[in-house]
Amino acid sequence: MPGIDECLLAAMRLPGARGAALVDWTSGLALGTVGDAPGGDHETTAAEAAELARMAAEHGAFAARSDDGRPPVEDVIVSNHDSYHLLRFVDTSFDSSVFLHLWLGREEGNLALARIRLGEMAARLVLG
Amino acid sequence: MTLVQIPTPPPLPVRDKTAGRALSPMLTRLAEERATGILVREHGTLYLAEGRVVHAESPFAPGLDVLLTAHGTLASAAWQRAAARASGPLRAAELLLDEGLLPAGALELCHLDAVYDAGYFTLAPSSTPGRFRYDNTPRVGPLPSVPVVALERETLRRRLLLHRLWPDPAADGAPLIRTDPARAAPVTPRQRAVLDRVDGVRTAVGIARNLGRQAFHTLVDVRRLAAAGHVTPLAPHPPEPRVTAPSPLPPPPVTDPDIALLKRLRDALEAL
Repeated sequence: MPGIDECLLAAMRLPGARGAALVDWTSGLALGTVGDAPGGDHETTAAEAAELARMAAEHGAFAARSDDGRPPVEDVIVSNHDSYHLLRFVDTSFDSSVFLHLWLGREEGNLALARIRLGEMAARLVLG
Repeated sequence: MTLVQIPTPPPLPVRDKTAGRALSPMLTRLAEERATGILVREHGTLYLAEGRVVHAESPFAPGLDVLLTAHGTLASAAWQRAAARASGPLRAAELLLDEGLLPAGALELCHLDAVYDAGYFTLAPSSTPGRFRYDNTPRVGPLPSVPVVALERETLRRRLLLHRLWPDPAADGAPLIRTDPARAAPVTPRQRAVLDRVDGVRTAVGIARNLGRQAFHTLVDVRRLAAAGHVTPLAPHPPEPRVTAPSPLPPPPVTDPDIALLKRLRDALEAL
């Protein structure tokens, strides 16, 4: 069963992956990081990504219609001219507020594939 | 049309790496010498192995057992069985990991959450000096550990985050009551869960335990609810009974310069 590090390393094996982190969006703390971070600083990246994740998670406009206990939002995708940022909320059975953050080079990365794989990794991380 | 529904809280702080502040010289020394032992402070206990925090406990933060059993992640009976065979909560968690009773990721995540949460309260300013006992029992095990300096930095960052959300720490430790804000700002689902448990008796820490949620996460929502005028502490500045959570920040500025100076002096002495 994968732990946090194994999960992040698996994310780094996706084509084009530059860096990955597991971040708590309430505090902005990175609980695990691997690879590079934009600007070279995982802590700053985690705090900034946490802002974005929190906004998406808390504003009703982005929530699914049915409230079945799952996180209101599955993922947040940001693209710029050279990379993608994929934030995947982790659905835990205990109370938490974490997401996986994958930074992906645009040339080599496949956003659709990465989105599916990151979702699977997020599930495996907490469900085994 | 400008309808801003949820007041946007200030940005999450990023640590100022140039500041180089430390919470206490003792912690810096323990980190430098990669100490192994148990640090007992007024508001909690840190278990160190080779300068890394392997486990933390505080009466103000729900333990791993509460976090895991509150929402049925783990049956209470399964935790009790493991706890009965182990010398402490950390060993119990390792047993659960060995036996595959919980996914490794879930357990690691919960464990880290609990360490940072209890660590935050343990490193709060205290009125008595901490005691460190060299002891070779704590060891780096299969669950993740946190360098002392990383916990220290994160604790300072968390204090700053709370301060930016709402600078008055009174709501952290006192029983909370609901108030009717003049303009009812909507609350988020996680804040709603906190607000529903505000009953004039529970403190933020009590609400956290009831929710099976990290105490610091609850403090974030309580400060945001206080800023929005949804909750207020029952007594604005209660005396310091043993049951209240520690105030992580000095009280709001006082106009009398002598009193302000004395308070700063007291805080500086406490931080030693």
